[in-house]
Amino acid sequence: MTVTSPADPRAIAPSEPMVDALDIAANPPRRALALHRELDAVWRDEPGWRGFFTSVNHGTIGLRFMVTAFVFFAIGGVLAMLIRAQLATQQGAFLDLDLYNQIFTMHGTIMMFLFAIPMLEGLALWLLPKILGARDMAFPRLSALGYWCYFFGGSVIVLSLVFGVAPDDGWFMYTPLSDRTHSPGVNADVWLLGVTFVEISAIAAAIEITVTILRCRAGGMALTRMPLMGWYLLGTAVMMLVGFPPLILGSILLEVQRAFDWPFFEVARGGDPLLWQHLFWLFGHPEVYIIFLPAAGALSTIIPILSRTTILGYGAIVAAVAGLVFLSFGLWVHHMFTVGIPHMALAFFSAASALVAVPTAIQIFAWIGTMWMGQVQFRLPMLYIMGFFATFVMGGLTGVMLAMVPFNWQAHDTHFVVAHLHYVLIGGFVFPMLAAVSYWMPLICGRWRVRGLGEAAFWLILIGFHGTFFLMHLTGLLGMPRRIAIYPANPEWEWLNLISSIFGMVMAAGFALFAFDVVMQWLFGRRSWRNPWRAPTLDWAMPLPAPSYNFASLPGPRHSDATALLPLARGEGLLPGAPRGWRETLVVEPGSGKPDHVAVLAHSTLLPLQTSAAIGSFFAAMLSGFYWLAPVGILLTIWAGWKWGDIMGTDRDHPPAQVAPGLALPLHFQRRNTLARTGTLALLLADGTLYASLMFGVGFLTVVAPNWPAPESGIATLPNLLAALVALGAMALGLVASFRAETTRTTPMGATWAMVGLGTGVLALAALAVLAYGLDDPTRHARDALRGVVLGFAVFHGVVASLLALRSLADHRQGRVSAARVGASPIWQLFQLFWLGTSAASFILILAQEVLT
Amino acid sequence: MNWLWRALAGLILWAVLFSAVYGLHGAGCALGWRRVPVLFTDWHHLAMWLVWGVGLVLHVILLRTMPQGVPPGRSRWLIVAGAWIGLGSTLFTLFPVIATSTCL
Repeated sequence: MTVTSPADPRAIAPSEPMVDALDIAANPPRRALALHRELDAVWRDEPGWRGFFTSVNHGTIGLRFMVTAFVFFAIGGVLAMLIRAQLATQQGAFLDLDLYNQIFTMHGTIMMFLFAIPMLEGLALWLLPKILGARDMAFPRLSALGYWCYFFGGSVIVLSLVFGVAPDDGWFMYTPLSDRTHSPGVNADVWLLGVTFVEISAIAAAIEITVTILRCRAGGMALTRMPLMGWYLLGTAVMMLVGFPPLILGSILLEVQRAFDWPFFEVARGGDPLLWQHLFWLFGHPEVYIIFLPAAGALSTIIPILSRTTILGYGAIVAAVAGLVFLSFGLWVHHMFTVGIPHMALAFFSAASALVAVPTAIQIFAWIGTMWMGQVQFRLPMLYIMGFFATFVMGGLTGVMLAMVPFNWQAHDTHFVVAHLHYVLIGGFVFPMLAAVSYWMPLICGRWRVRGLGEAAFWLILIGFHGTFFLMHLTGLLGMPRRIAIYPANPEWEWLNLISSIFGMVMAAGFALFAFDVVMQWLFGRRSWRNPWRAPTLDWAMPLPAPSYNFASLPGPRHSDATALLPLARGEGLLPGAPRGWRETLVVEPGSGKPDHVAVLAHSTLLPLQTSAAIGSFFAAMLSGFYWLAPVGILLTIWAGWKWGDIMGTDRDHPPAQVAPGLALPLHFQRRNTLARTGTLALLLADGTLYASLMFGVGFLTVVAPNWPAPESGIATLPNLLAALVALGAMALGLVASFRAETTRTTPMGATWAMVGLGTGVLALAALAVLAYGLDDPTRHARDALRGVVLGFAVFHGVVASLLALRSLADHRQGRVSAARVGASPIWQLFQLFWLGTSAASFILILAQEVLT
Repeated sequence: MNWLWRALAGLILWAVLFSAVYGLHGAGCALGWRRVPVLFTDWHHLAMWLVWGVGLVLHVILLRTMPQGVPPGRSRWLIVAGAWIGLGSTLFTLFPVIATSTCL
């Protein structure tokens, strides 16, 4: 570990302080080495193999995400080379058709789900606490759970290729190609279940990132002064919370159709394949911006530093990010321009697709302006940024071309689209990520790179990329379709394909050299000096490599940028050391950044690994067709979930933590508005989006699908109506109980109300079981199948709410509540309210269907 | 957080209006509203014009009210920018309701 001299006078001064000047005094200086030992003993991973499995530290988990993502990237890259080898000649005999289908499907699936998203998650998990001035992410165990779900799910998907049962219907799994009739094997199930398993990590990361940015910033760091990377990642995380649920819903519906013959996408029984396309692209297009935004965050961080100036147009960039986040949800239909949608709807989405270029362009001009104002240093990260400009702008312009309906009709499903999407994704994500890795490597490993290798890798990648994909625009314009393994002896296509394939190999050599360079730097690079880029941001206000706890004392009003390295290491910042032997970090008010309380974070534990294994057992049972075993996986998951709550909390009140002279803050046990509550709100945003997507499905099939109206229903009976009313009444009473359990927690009535809440939950679930018994046969028509899903949604949330009531009851029984400690009640209230609200909406919907028909 | 809601109000309104008009479009086509004449147009166009028009008025109200009470500076600038982006987005992405054929 290297701790060196004081502030570098050549460093870039922030244009304005990143934190407000709150009146918080500095702590007295202490010996840096003693503080380091005290903190490292608390924050470091356990030694040996056990440490590998139990780590929850954001530094370890973030790096692990990124390394695993690069391994999957390498696998996906090899598959790409196989595709190019096959297409190099017109009657290529390198791969047979079945294998080719699996390989191009797996290439897209791996690159999107196992590389791009996990890579951005890894970067966010590793970087965010450092750049915001915190010691860890808000929910360390959730980080680890996400990683294990990603690792297991990704491994299953990749291993399916080895066993010859990999998905083979294209990375967007269009129905009816992917239904049981046309894909009878397990190939499509591998995709649907594997990707859904992996998406748990995406939702987990999105919650983590949202809460960390809103609540775990440096004391006094207002949102409006947050580093731009924070804004980009906040936008990304919110998009993930809203963008992933439609795909999760679609995957569940398609898997249920394949497993149990519920006809959501089957025209003959009231379904519609276009519903799948809508659900997929409701995720799929925002996904492009989910990938782009963190990359743009890296650009907004690196460009000013390597231009020796400050970013131009901070406010305009924040506004552009907000615009992108919203507008990107109004574009999805441009992937469906050729399916026969009315002109007016086409026009809405064509206009939105063109409009989204404006906020993107604002950022591009801000970056160019920043470079224009400063003195650009063409170090390796800046070379990759130049590669980004050259590539992404072209991809953006072809995107505007494809947003125009008449052109889209001509170019749809050709190699022009393949060229466009690679220009956007490699230009907009891979080049910035390579810049980011080059930039932050000294902070990761504490070493400086060997000059020359990285530059050679950059030129190979840049030349190889454009040689491969620029020509593909022409191949596409000449009419060559996507996803074909062989093509006719058309001389116009042949030479273009051959040259694309040759340059594809050049690009692969470039990526291999990049990986070699990184490994060499990690193993043999010379020790880096402190803050090698002379950056002002907080991520460089720490020794190299970054210690397990990030900051010996936390940044605040007096220590708000990289020049504060030594005062922070000496404990002059906030909350120095680990006086209670706990992992503690500061929690602030979301807007102002005013310090609110101190959160005690989780220590190393096997629980995330066990929980992911429990969830995995459910997916494994579904994948292998042993559906009767799937409930065992659910029970194991419930058991693991119970353990999460069981080891948290405390049975006594704790004195406030001394954060700074004159500033003592309560520990999170004694606060109501904790990180957990904010995280629950984020989770319910995703949950609400899933429900809204389900309602969209009901509405879409009702008004668009052929073979409606549905056959006469038999559910409109008095017993069913009574059961529904009993269920809703019990849920409402449960909601009252959840609030009363909190307000009466210091009396014996607290436990009684928790018991009432549990009882009403069980009663509501019993009433829902009666309703399930009275449902029409869900295999008969899509309307009946959707009603089954709506009921399943209510049952799932009923189980969660009842478990939270049980948790609250246990809190009362075990003395984990007091006048100062509220236990699990606030979380229970939120879930109970959500359960009641969505169930009431479902009841009204079904009632309206019955009355109107 | 109150500041964040103010900054995002215009964009949230755009999202609501975009969903509402797209939903109305689908529902109107299914229910045959374009075959119901109203004044010089049809019920389908009129319904979408109404939502679009009311939405634009709401955007203008947001533009005037959201920045109130926020001192000049970056915070206020972002609120104003958010309101303008929402208004511009609604104006541009929903302008096809003016004359484009609905269900063809």
